[in-house]
Amino acid sequence: MTAGTETTGTIYDIGYRRYDGPRLGRSGAVGAVVQAGVRAVFGLGRSGRSKIIPWGAVILATLPAIVAVAVRVLAGEIIPDLYSYNNYLWQIGGLFGIFLAAQAPELVVNDIRFRVLPLYFSRPMSRFDYVAAKLGALSLGLLSLTLLPLLILFVGRVLAADDLLGALGDEIGSLPAIVGSAVLHAVVLASVGIAISSLASRRAYAAGAVLAVFLIGGVISEVLREAGGAFDDWAPFLNPLAIIDGARQWLFGGVVAESPVGSSTVPLPVYGLATAVLLLGSWIVLALRYRRITV
Amino acid sequence: MALISTRALTKRYPGGVTALDALSVEIDEGVIGLVGANGAGKSTLIKILLGLLEPTEGEATVLDLNTATDGARIRELVGYMPEHDCLPTDVSATEFVSHMARVSGLPAGAARERTADVLRHVGLYEERYRPIGGYSTGMKQRVKLAQALVHDPRILFLDEPTNGLDPSGRDEMLGLIERIGRDFGITVVVASHLLGEIERVAGWLVAIDAGRLLRTAPLTSFTERTGQLVVETEEVADQLAERLTARGLTATATGRTMLVEIASAGSGEFDVFDAVRDEAVALGLPLVRIEHRRHQLEDLFRDEGAA
Repeated sequence: MTAGTETTGTIYDIGYRRYDGPRLGRSGAVGAVVQAGVRAVFGLGRSGRSKIIPWGAVILATLPAIVAVAVRVLAGEIIPDLYSYNNYLWQIGGLFGIFLAAQAPELVVNDIRFRVLPLYFSRPMSRFDYVAAKLGALSLGLLSLTLLPLLILFVGRVLAADDLLGALGDEIGSLPAIVGSAVLHAVVLASVGIAISSLASRRAYAAGAVLAVFLIGGVISEVLREAGGAFDDWAPFLNPLAIIDGARQWLFGGVVAESPVGSSTVPLPVYGLATAVLLLGSWIVLALRYRRITV
Repeated sequence: MALISTRALTKRYPGGVTALDALSVEIDEGVIGLVGANGAGKSTLIKILLGLLEPTEGEATVLDLNTATDGARIRELVGYMPEHDCLPTDVSATEFVSHMARVSGLPAGAARERTADVLRHVGLYEERYRPIGGYSTGMKQRVKLAQALVHDPRILFLDEPTNGLDPSGRDEMLGLIERIGRDFGITVVVASHLLGEIERVAGWLVAIDAGRLLRTAPLTSFTERTGQLVVETEEVADQLAERLTARGLTATATGRTMLVEIASAGSGEFDVFDAVRDEAVALGLPLVRIEHRRHQLEDLFRDEGAA
């Protein structure tokens, strides 16, 4: 008789076991939805196909920062920087629309379509908790596009310098603006993306709607600006990314020459106001949408 | 103190529909059948007990917690299986049930362990790693049951759990419900409009109609003897009834079925049996069956409708 033969081939029904371990309640529930949401945003635990867009976007978003750091290390400060903390997010803006269109619907559409929400709401979690957790998950995911490259730029600049401490002293002042811009972008983009997605009955429709708002809005805004005329000052307000960039300039400073905000004469606080409208508008849409869901 | 208790619970929906009408009921441990026609208020009652709907008037407690103020705490300790489809198609049963366990508040490790346990208990084995979209209705109902059970609830609310199942799937689901109540020691409230199914699993019945309590009692009292014999014959029983009436019994025949009052004989029930046998023999009328007539659950609603 060899070791182990006693247990092979037999399944022991050990009967029903009770659970008397910890119950984490509402915070556990919200934590679980955030964690599952972040995994979904990056396609973790799913097929390779669902990883292409999120990871592709992260790579494309961080690549310019990595190249800029490499150039700085190899060439020193002879070659002027292509990217600053100020213009970086505007330059990679196109990725936000694609990332949002692919990943925001992933988080909310199927829960509505397949009527899974009653299962969430019959647990220690409210409608508000659910929506907040989904917004949190997408915002965290978006930080990989908004905060990560800026931090790479920051760390690279410090490490590339001959005088590490001196460089740290020079750069550290930009840190609040870096974190602030990154969080501002992430939260506003996530709110708009989730709000639009929550209205769609299929993931594909949601993706189309998000793309339309970000890409087509951006294109129309550019066309209007090029055409000039009476509306060119207000053209940036058709482009959500320009609105957010205006709010960023208002809050943290740093003019971006390439952004339409620079060529418009509309004062910066108006962009702040428009961003607040975007944010609150998205939240109102979400509140109305999820209140309508019958359990 | 009862596990669940409601006091004058009333729910009026905007538009004037009264789903519950001053319902007061106490529910104790066991498998409880919540019976009533479609639209009687069963689902509304369950949703109020889960703290998902606010009653218009009255109040309810579950596990001594008030549904209006302690909803989240109640929902941590009870499980709910809705009537409708509620499963995503693109994730596996394992992933989905363990996610739901965590949303119920279980830590990750415990969620994984209990998911494996519970899926085995409901009878999902190899297929639990495949996406739910490819499951049969029976398997989906098991996943729905598993997600309600995974966090080891004190009370399980099942809303029409056999909906859409074929006869064998129905048998298996009822068997599972029985096991959960008897072997797992979890109180199960089963809402159903199918009395035959409730009869098989429930030990106690709460019957509601148009939002009002019809009756709450042990199942046996719903199906007790009526004091009548049912006699079924091979041919029309009119003559047999006449002959029994001539002997002083109260007998009425409808086609091949005859009802005889036992008490009317003024003697024991065996005298009535004997009389039926003797007269049938005298007539040469073959008997199919003789038995005590029992109340049927349906009578409850039929009488109510007539009244």
